[in-house]
Amino acid sequence: MIKKHFLIYLNTSRPKIKRFGIKQFGVEAQAMELVQETLTSVWRKAHLYHSDKGAATTWVYTVMRNASFDMLRKMKSNKEENISEDIWPLLNDSQETHHEYSDHLEDKQIKRYLDKLPIAQREVVRGVYFQDMSQEQLAMQLNIPVGTVKSRLRLALQKLRNEMGDQHD
Amino acid sequence: MIKHHPSETLLTQYCSASLSASLSLAISIHVDMCPVCQAKAEKIEASNAETLFSTKLDALEQTTNEELESLNESELNFFDMITADDSIDEVYEVEPVSIKVNEHNYQLPRALTRISHSKFTQVGKLARSRVALDDGALRSSLLHIDAGGEIPEHTHTGFEVTLLLDGEFSDEEGKYVPGDFIWQDGSHQHTPLTKDGCLCFTVVSSALHFNKGFSKLLNPIGNLIY
Repeated sequence: MIKKHFLIYLNTSRPKIKRFGIKQFGVEAQAMELVQETLTSVWRKAHLYHSDKGAATTWVYTVMRNASFDMLRKMKSNKEENISEDIWPLLNDSQETHHEYSDHLEDKQIKRYLDKLPIAQREVVRGVYFQDMSQEQLAMQLNIPVGTVKSRLRLALQKLRNEMGDQHD
Repeated sequence: MIKHHPSETLLTQYCSASLSASLSLAISIHVDMCPVCQAKAEKIEASNAETLFSTKLDALEQTTNEELESLNESELNFFDMITADDSIDEVYEVEPVSIKVNEHNYQLPRALTRISHSKFTQVGKLARSRVALDDGALRSSLLHIDAGGEIPEHTHTGFEVTLLLDGEFSDEEGKYVPGDFIWQDGSHQHTPLTKDGCLCFTVVSSALHFNKGFSKLLNPIGNLIY
């Protein structure tokens, strides 16, 4: 999000967030605090928003709603820990798809094997398997023929298979 | 198929953060398990957002320098303060967490993975673990009933939410499946019974309600459940 646009949008939303805050807390001071909490959160979490998840207004609403929940809980029970994101995760979809790949130990292990490959082979494996590029795209980027990409990939996989063999067969 | 859902009123309150933490958690778990309520909640949030922010954030690209220059000094200071810090909030990853109760493995609902809960206390076929929420008069628990277990007939002076997480149970009203969200208050009376065993998330309102002559509930099972 571009800073300038962000500023202008935030300016129009301030009275609206405040209105919501007064409804939630009944106190102006807390409502002002919600404005600041919300805008700071929007600023710091802007990288989490993607337009395919729906309208940006809805996203800002959920950020504000979460901030309001944590503030209200702090007022009522003096609890410092925030649990709004346990109740309403801001990153639902990507978290679910992430689970399949979240085996960090295995990832680390694979990185270690990758590091053993010659650089030329390593970049091909990285491009195809970690950056999801097609062999053609990769060939263009590295400025080498597609055939070379294919042969490097074949050699690399053979080498990886030998290295990992005893654990993965 | 899930047949028991939170009421429209509860869902609406949930979406605007006007429910207690315990009930919000219960509904969050249900919403994760129930595509129908998930769609409803998204709709409520979108319509709340539209009502509140009449200006579309998406029209943002059209803003001009003039508008930026029209900001007064105190507004500029306020924004400078917020945008001075360029660091971003990373989102923690939620790894699935399994728990073992009486040799049965269960996966905890996503919403409960980062909130601690006590060790299970066992009385007969019932085992209960308190969820550390500190939510005033409301108490949240994980309740496990072994196969063939039964909770003696009881009524509720306050209210009780039972969210079936895994397994099955039935009462006078019928059979329940995982995801079912069951709200009960003083007007209900039931005797839950499970053939194969089950794990539930429960929210019960104040123990105070049970102090008024409900001697039966002061027995170990009563204490365990509430």
